[in-house]
Amino acid sequence: MKTTRVFQITALLLVIVSVIQVGWWVYDQHDYSTQKLHDARVYYAREVAAAQALLAAGAPAEHVHELLPDVTITGGRAAPSDAIDAAFVAERYRRINQYAWESGFFLLALALCVGVIWRALRAETKVLQEQDNFLALVSHQFKTPLASLQLSLETMAKRQLSAEQSRTLIERMLADLTRMESMVSRILDSVRLERGRVDLKSEPVELATAVGRVVTQFEERARQERIALTVDVPRDLIILADPLAVDVVVRNLLENALAAVAAVSGGTVTFAARAANGEIELSVRDSGVGFRANDSAQLFKKFSRLHPGGGSSHYGTGLGLFIVRRLMQLTGGRVSAHSIGVGQGALFVLSWPAAPRQPV
Amino acid sequence: MSTAQAPAARTLVVEDDPHLAAGLAENLRAEGYAVDTAADGRLALSWLRENSCELIVLDVMLPHLDGFTLCRTLRAGGNNTPVLFLTARGDPQDRVLGLEAGGDDYLAKPFHLEEFLLRVRAILRRWEWYRKASATPQSAVLRFGGNEVDFRAFRARSWNGAAQELTEKEAMILKVLAERPGEIVSREDLLERVWGYDVFPSTRTVDNFILRLRKRFERDPANPRHFLTVWGVGYRFLIEGGT
Repeated sequence: MKTTRVFQITALLLVIVSVIQVGWWVYDQHDYSTQKLHDARVYYAREVAAAQALLAAGAPAEHVHELLPDVTITGGRAAPSDAIDAAFVAERYRRINQYAWESGFFLLALALCVGVIWRALRAETKVLQEQDNFLALVSHQFKTPLASLQLSLETMAKRQLSAEQSRTLIERMLADLTRMESMVSRILDSVRLERGRVDLKSEPVELATAVGRVVTQFEERARQERIALTVDVPRDLIILADPLAVDVVVRNLLENALAAVAAVSGGTVTFAARAANGEIELSVRDSGVGFRANDSAQLFKKFSRLHPGGGSSHYGTGLGLFIVRRLMQLTGGRVSAHSIGVGQGALFVLSWPAAPRQPV
Repeated sequence: MSTAQAPAARTLVVEDDPHLAAGLAENLRAEGYAVDTAADGRLALSWLRENSCELIVLDVMLPHLDGFTLCRTLRAGGNNTPVLFLTARGDPQDRVLGLEAGGDDYLAKPFHLEEFLLRVRAILRRWEWYRKASATPQSAVLRFGGNEVDFRAFRARSWNGAAQELTEKEAMILKVLAERPGEIVSREDLLERVWGYDVFPSTRTVDNFILRLRKRFERDPANPRHFLTVWGVGYRFLIEGGT
């Protein structure tokens, strides 16, 4: 940020100094040309006067013309030539024009350079900002489960606990480890996806089976958090996608939906699917905290969080939806998010190309 | 297992991580404290509007209302319940932010259980002392040089009639000094009695608070008559005023 500010001030000063300098050049040149034009006219007037004097002294017109060829002599009188004066004026304009164009070009080149550097700095600031966000996120997201782990372990060391209390603490610790492990995976996934280092397949996947496999793993959690989980995905919908990517995408959206509903102490999460225009759409609708309608594009950006300050997705890394969008893009699909406002629930829609019908 | 000095002290744990909240609550209960929990800033605020406690253990990054804002809101509303901040961000700048927001102490995650309990005890001990030392009508009010300080209300009226709202640290420093009028009180002593052991890195902080007290209560803060500096040692408080 500081570098950007220093650059802004330097660039501004540079542009101001350059504009003043160029302005001075043009002015100086204008002044010089005007002076030159004046000098040329004076000199020319002298030539005319000299020619007139020679004629008056009886010199033959041919001799005078040979001596002073720029002077027009008609009927024994010397006169200035309009063409010569016009040439003086034209020369003056040519020089001023040349300087004006050169100055303009110089200023344009300068502005372009400043623009290029400015863009580069902006990009660098953005990268630094992302890194800062990442560090802040990692510190919060990892230190909290770490603190919980340490607290559980030190509690076991300090206190005399019943078998049941010990089991509770052990389960808590295992859950903390799982949280950290899944965060590490997400961070690595997002890095790989961002650099395009993934090898994704494109094969027919039965959507109902893929969704069912993920949902089964979350049924217990949904029950504990008083969330009604319903799935309405017809068996005959076959999408063209990478089976592992589908698993990751559905899992991420389901985890988000559960967290959003848990934050309002229970509700519903519904999966529904349909075929439309050669594509297959899977929608995940929840009755959770939702988000501001304007924020839907923001959600898929890296490190953006549904709820500032932690919110319902406080276990999240701010990478889940980024991964979802990237995976959908890489497998020829799309994802969109909809909500009419905070507290109004949310709807996420995934679209994949339908697999061509073939005998099974 | 050690027993708590104030066995019935009630604490509120404000933490959005369910595991950490449960672990803290269990350990505080095991030490004999009564514990309530709140999972976000708004819930904590509404709990505190209807209940009171002796200590708030407050996470900084909370949904809806962050810990710093919650603490500032409490202080602005005249709630002086001591606050122990817990946070994942442990850099010195955040530490200062927390203390400026009105926190009493600051612990960075992850932390040791013993250290957490030690700090809880230290905060409660300091407040126990302050409350006891301001319990009687005589000890609750301090009069010097035309100033009048009400320790229980954290309010004062200075010599020129101006009403003063004291922060809890200012009141505590004043209390420590008022307990030993005419004696030299070292900076370290003030730091230990008011903040505990290692919250602030420097005794310079004490000097800043003394400057604030002089501004509030001295007729000429540049030539103090009540809060005198004893060079290289600390401070001497004079009720009658001197030079």
